[in-house]
Amino acid sequence: MNKKMSISFESPSFIKRLKGMLGVDFYRLFHTPLFYIFLIIAGIIPALVSMGFSTTDPVTGQITGSTLENIWIMIAAKEPLYVVSDIAEYANMNMVFIFGGIMVSIFIGHDYKSGYVKQLFTTHAKKQDYTLSKSISCAFAIVCMCITYLIGTVVAGIFLQASFEVNVGSLIIAILSKMIMSLGWASLYTFLNIIFRRYFGISIASSFFFGTGILIIGAAAILGNSSILNIFLYGSSVYACLSSNILTLIVCIVNSVGWFIFYNIVGTYVLNKSDVY
Amino acid sequence: MNAIEIRNLYKNFGQKQAVCGLNMTVPKGAIYGFIGENGSGKSTTEKMICGLIHPTSGTILINGKSHTDIDERSKMSSLIESPGCFPNCSVWNNLMLQATNLSITNKEDAVRKVLTLVRMEGAAGNKYKNCSLGMKQRIGIAMALLGDPELLILDEPINGLDVDGMRIMREILVDLALNHQKTIVISSHILGELEKIATHYGIIRQGKMIKEMTAEEFNAECRTYIALKSKDLEKTKFILKEKYNRVEEDEDGYLRIYDNVESSLIVEYLYNLNIIINEIKIDKVGLEEYYIDLMNEKKGR
Repeated sequence: MNKKMSISFESPSFIKRLKGMLGVDFYRLFHTPLFYIFLIIAGIIPALVSMGFSTTDPVTGQITGSTLENIWIMIAAKEPLYVVSDIAEYANMNMVFIFGGIMVSIFIGHDYKSGYVKQLFTTHAKKQDYTLSKSISCAFAIVCMCITYLIGTVVAGIFLQASFEVNVGSLIIAILSKMIMSLGWASLYTFLNIIFRRYFGISIASSFFFGTGILIIGAAAILGNSSILNIFLYGSSVYACLSSNILTLIVCIVNSVGWFIFYNIVGTYVLNKSDVY
Repeated sequence: MNAIEIRNLYKNFGQKQAVCGLNMTVPKGAIYGFIGENGSGKSTTEKMICGLIHPTSGTILINGKSHTDIDERSKMSSLIESPGCFPNCSVWNNLMLQATNLSITNKEDAVRKVLTLVRMEGAAGNKYKNCSLGMKQRIGIAMALLGDPELLILDEPINGLDVDGMRIMREILVDLALNHQKTIVISSHILGELEKIATHYGIIRQGKMIKEMTAEEFNAECRTYIALKSKDLEKTKFILKEKYNRVEEDEDGYLRIYDNVESSLIVEYLYNLNIIINEIKIDKVGLEEYYIDLMNEKKGR
C-alpha cells in the first residue's frame, strides 16, 4: 500500500514574525558599537552641560558649587515652558531625543546601505513587521539613553555639589513620562528614515531637525505657552517637568502611543507603496 | 504545479519600460538559467518575484499563490546583487542575524550547517568586510539557505569568482537542486558556467522573454558542426567555401563546417585536393554562441 506523505510549512503568525524581526533588531543593537557610543554620549551630556553652570573658587580654581537651582533641572524644566528663553530651560533630558534621532537614523540607514532590507523584505511580506520592530527596538535604545543620562546627571550633581531637593513623585513621573515618549519619538524617526531611506544624510538631518523641537518652539513663540502644543511629541516631552502629576503621565502615554500608531500606519503604507533597491 | 509562474508582467520606471509583458515558467526542482544583456530586466524581474519592487501590472504566482502571500514568501530566499550583510559584523553574526530574522529555533546548528554547505566553516569569525569577493558570494548563498527555503533567487552569484570559486559554487548549486530539492533561479553572464548546471533556460531581451526551453530542448536545438585544422587554413577555407554553405573560422583557429555532412566526406574531399587535415572533431554550439546568435537574429529583425 502506498502511503502519501505531505510536508506542510507552518504559516508565520504575526507574533512569530514580529518576534523574529525584533530578535534581529535587538541582536544588532547589542552587537553594534553605535549603541554603546550613544549611551556614553547620553551619559556625558549632562556632565558637560552642568559644568557650564559650575562656580569655582577664584583662588584655588576648584569647583565650589553650581548656579543651578537644583541638579534635576538637568532632567526636566520646573514648569512646562515651550518658549525657550535660556539654555538651562532647554538643556534637559529632551536632548536625548535629539541624539536618539541620530542614532536611529544611523541604525536604520545601515539596513538600506548594507542591502539587508532586501533580505528582510524577501522573507517578510508584511512591512508593518519592519516599522513596528524598528520603532520598538529604537524606543528601547532611547530609554537606555535616558537611563545613562539620568546616571550622568546624578554623578554630575554629586561632583558639582548641587542641590538634589525635589518633589520625588513629580520627578519620577517626569522621568517615566519622558521614557514613555521615547516610543513616539522612535516611531517618528523610523518614519523619517523610511521616507528618506535613499538619502542617508537627509534622514539624519531631518531626525535632528525634528528632535530639537524647533517647530514647536517656533509655534510657541506665536501661540505662547499653550497646552495645545502637548499634542505634539516635543510638547508632551516638555510637559513632563518637575511639577508633573499623574495627568502628565496619562497625557504622555496617550500621546506617545497615538503617534506610535499613526507613524506606524503611515510608515507601513509608504513601504507598501514603494520599491526597495 | 510550477514554482514560479509569471504572466504579462510589466514594470515601468517613469517613462522607461524595464519589463514589458514578460511570461516565465519555472518548474519545481529546476535550476533555471535566466539570461539577458545588461539592462534587459533580469534583476528587475527577480526583485519583483521577491516582492522588493512592485509590478506595474501582471501576475506573479509562487507555487500557485500570489507572490505577496506571506506563507509563500517565507519559503523563499534571495541573493540579489550582493549579500545584505553588515560589513563590521563577523560572518557568524551576520548569519545569526538572518537566523533570528527567520525565527529558526536552533540557530547555531542551522548556521553551522549552512556554513558547512558552502565550505566556509573556517571563516565564521572573519569580519564580513575582510572577506574576498568569492567568500562574500558564498556567505550570500549561506544566508539564502538559512531556514531551508524551497525557492532560491540568485542574481549573478558567480560574477567575480575565480575558477575554483566558480567550481565550488557550481557544486553547491547542483547539490542543492539534486539532493535538497530546491528550485533555483540563477541569472548570470557567465553562460559557460550556467550551461553546466541549468536544467531550464529563459532568455530575456528588452524586458521580454524571447525564449524559454529545457536543457534537453536546448541540446536538441543546438547545431552540431565539424571543426578542423589544417596547415594552410586560408586555402582550406577557400576550398571548403566552394563546396559547403556555411564555413567559418573560430577564435581558436578551427574551421567550422555547419552543413549537415559526414566528416569522412570532408576528409576525403580535402585529401583529394592534397590538403592534409591535422585535427578534426564534431562539436556543438554552446550556450554562449546560441545566445549571441539568438540576439543577432532578434536585432536583425
